[in-house]
Amino acid sequence: MAYQPPQRWASPNGNDLADILHEPRNTEARHRELLESSAKAHTQLRQEAERVLQESILREQTRRVLEEKRREQERIQAEQKLAEERQRLNELKKKVVEIPPLLPDSKSEAAPAVNGNLNKSVASQVPSSANPAASNAFQQPAAQAAAIQPSVNPFGTKAPGQGFTSITSNAPIAQPKPVVEPAKQPSTALGLNALLNGNSLTNGSGPANTTPKPAPTPAPQAPQPDRYTVIHQNLKILRKTMMDQAKVNRALKERMGDMRREIRKSVGQLTGGAPGVNRTQQQKIVGLLREALGNHVQSQLMDPGNFTLRPREPVQGANHNQDTLPSLFLYLLNIFSKAVISQFINEASARPETADPVGVCIAASFSEPDFLWRGVSMIDILLAKFRIVCPVLFGYRGSEKTEQGRSRLGWWKDGGQWISDQQHMDRMTGLGAGFAAISLRKFTQSKKENPFPASNYWTAMARIVNTPPAEISNTQCVVLKAMIQNYEGKFIEFYGTAALAALRAALIELPQRAPEKSPAVNSLHVLAQLLRKDSGLSLG
Amino acid sequence: MADLASRITKPAEEPAPSDTVPEGSTEGANSVTLIESSYEVEVKLADLQNDAESPLYSVTSFDQLGLSSQINDGLLAMNFKKPSKIQEKALPLMISNPPTNMIAQSQSGTGKTAAFVLTVLSRVDLSKPEQPQALLLAPSRELARQIQAVIKTVGQFCDNLIVEAAIPGAVSRELGVRASIVVGTPGTVMDLVRRRQFDVSQLKVLVIDEADNMLDQQGLGEQCVRVKGMLPKTIQILLFSATFPEKVYNFAKKYAPNANEIKLRQQELTVKGISQMYMDCPDESKKYDILCKLYGLMTIGSSVIFVRTRESANEIQRRMEADGHKVSALHGAFEGQSRDVVLDDFRSGRSKVLITTNVLARGIDVSSVSMVINYDIPMKGPGDREPDAETYLHRIGRTGRFGRVGVSISFVYDKKSFDALSHIANFYGIDLIQLSPDDWDETEKKVQDVIKSSRARPDYAPNALGN
Repeated sequence: MAYQPPQRWASPNGNDLADILHEPRNTEARHRELLESSAKAHTQLRQEAERVLQESILREQTRRVLEEKRREQERIQAEQKLAEERQRLNELKKKVVEIPPLLPDSKSEAAPAVNGNLNKSVASQVPSSANPAASNAFQQPAAQAAAIQPSVNPFGTKAPGQGFTSITSNAPIAQPKPVVEPAKQPSTALGLNALLNGNSLTNGSGPANTTPKPAPTPAPQAPQPDRYTVIHQNLKILRKTMMDQAKVNRALKERMGDMRREIRKSVGQLTGGAPGVNRTQQQKIVGLLREALGNHVQSQLMDPGNFTLRPREPVQGANHNQDTLPSLFLYLLNIFSKAVISQFINEASARPETADPVGVCIAASFSEPDFLWRGVSMIDILLAKFRIVCPVLFGYRGSEKTEQGRSRLGWWKDGGQWISDQQHMDRMTGLGAGFAAISLRKFTQSKKENPFPASNYWTAMARIVNTPPAEISNTQCVVLKAMIQNYEGKFIEFYGTAALAALRAALIELPQRAPEKSPAVNSLHVLAQLLRKDSGLSLG
Repeated sequence: MADLASRITKPAEEPAPSDTVPEGSTEGANSVTLIESSYEVEVKLADLQNDAESPLYSVTSFDQLGLSSQINDGLLAMNFKKPSKIQEKALPLMISNPPTNMIAQSQSGTGKTAAFVLTVLSRVDLSKPEQPQALLLAPSRELARQIQAVIKTVGQFCDNLIVEAAIPGAVSRELGVRASIVVGTPGTVMDLVRRRQFDVSQLKVLVIDEADNMLDQQGLGEQCVRVKGMLPKTIQILLFSATFPEKVYNFAKKYAPNANEIKLRQQELTVKGISQMYMDCPDESKKYDILCKLYGLMTIGSSVIFVRTRESANEIQRRMEADGHKVSALHGAFEGQSRDVVLDDFRSGRSKVLITTNVLARGIDVSSVSMVINYDIPMKGPGDREPDAETYLHRIGRTGRFGRVGVSISFVYDKKSFDALSHIANFYGIDLIQLSPDDWDETEKKVQDVIKSSRARPDYAPNALGN
């Protein structure tokens, strides 16, 4: 403990040698006096110790209460998330009903057998998904779905072949779960919100006044807490509905797999080098997305609002203002996002510089005017995935020594076990570099709008750098290093001297503040040395 | 908290809080530990240690190995955070005094190069930057240049470090060798010594990489023996390889007498992080198209395709470029520095597909290679009659570097290729997974599952592939 007992109790009465050697030192009175004083000293000592103990117990209790409060807030958030998720699900259901499915060939009779398996997994992914249908405002359309579906269902009532009908029919298994009331509105004082807004640097050079190109649209509405995880869940549901659609829509099935593989291949083919070196790949990806938008294979239409951070209203002059877009298009955006994240994890992890051409491709694709919905890009789909695989970029923290801490840090599990340190840090390296590759793109020469401007980079860096010393994790250091290395030049181009201050905070001050000088912490410091050696950039 | 309460001597009831706190931690850190130990479950020790058999597992840190801070910083700059098993085990033996010889075997991509590079760097006296003190031999110019690059990177914070490559065309004719560390191929090194352009009198360390290949009597063995004959008798000899066939091993023990030995069993040789599959092609002519389809099945960084002949290398290159890939082809038709250019393109990522013959099966480390294709199964002997198990192992070892995920796909299309691959699989006890080109949706799913399960395998234990 840091507590130091005051020195005055070190020896009773503060006797010195002269006192001890004094003639009557062996008298009874003297003896009693000494005993008394030492007893007094002991009492004092104990009282002080008790006081300190009381104090720390009190402190501990306060902490527990605070922690309890935080947990409660987390619970509320989780419940909100669930409510939100269900609402989305119900909306999706509504959509399914609106669009009559294509009549399948009668020989795809075998589908239900496969379907049986999928149903199970969906039921577990979307716990008690049917419950809200029975208990909230969306009951009506859901009931309609059940009513309408059988009439168009070629498999008869016992073998529902359509996406969400099957969920509904399977749902009673999950019934026992109590229905959680959807919270009416986001509570105002959520810890997470505060965390997400805390984006100023300690040294006072805030991002707002130094941003050369401020964030394009002021947020009309604060997003719900952790909306990204909701989007991520919605994307899973989207994938499932696509599989279900493919079972009854032959044209879709024939095209979808090839499109998916073409996108994955094209993303893998991106290389560094002279400008224009990736033109073929870029055109291919945009071409595939455009084809999906044309929707010749008649995929169902879907509300893109399921995959955006904030609700959107129609805006003047936008190419797409309607309520829905083809689900195949949204699915391919999802596949594209998945492919780039996977490329970051599998390739940029080993060689971070490979992230850059991928970042260029992302910026170019998401900013394509045809792919905007109500005037804004659909990049939230990609960000939702980022939020899941690399939470520290979004301000989440945790201890690497605990199960929950690792989950919060996005430490992956495979087969029920945490992946190794090396694998985790590799992933974080690739994702950190990938994040920089997406967020530090210059659009000054372009007519298009930057889907993810540099202020996002600043915010993410600030969230890591502002971590209290005791909570600094290796994961954060590795991500921080990866998002800086090779990007210091671009960062400085955007933010000038403010960038230098931020780099100093990240590479000099953070490692100094960190209580444990782990290799991950030290490598930040080594990066500062490297910058000085290779580019003469002196931060310290 | 507990220690606070227990310090109070009052014998009365004292319900000490149950949390345990490590002593000596600061107030701030303490509070964090407390909260977490109360509400969060610590990661079980077993989870952290379960891969103790892993060649990448180790308990120590680089600091504990007593390396200089410059070298340590160099390692951190390369994102090396902890020594691998071969480094942890071999390094203390190699850098201790008096210098002792070493024969070390470890799987591909487990950090052998860094192990001997660290030894060399710790032996070299940097106050004599132009006096050759360490010699490293490799079987190809590509490998020699690669090792040279690794030494330079690890030693980037060391002042006065000069590393020279003794390969054709790299050493100045007038000046000769002016470096403390020399990496080369045996032929060129011999020439330089004979021409008195390479002063070997103060060499302290001799490293031979890919030692089984280098000491093989039918190949470079004789040259290595002659090189050794020119060097000081007291020199420390370090031999490294992923494979050591018995016959060569016996010779290695004579070449490096009284050596410490680190050896693997045959079943431990395959790297478990590499998912090994084979593609059942209907006939040889379909191989091209199938090859191109593979790139959509999974996320691929860089890839290496091994072929038997230059002609098929060129043909594959043509087809793949038409499919949008950026391809380098490297085979015996190229010489010297034009080979360097081709490989540099691949290393730097300007091209992401490398098509090559066996010249590059060994040693080449491009960390982002995530797929190796045996377009032709490796064969050896007269008339290519015999399956070449060692080459197979070295080839697939171009992926799965340092614990990363990688896949290898071997193409079979007739009885001969099928039998050859089966022989290799039996030799190492590998369970190869079959892929079929009939339904790409299915094949995609299968490949994804295989990659997932190989990552999830809790193994690195010998022969965890089962059969």
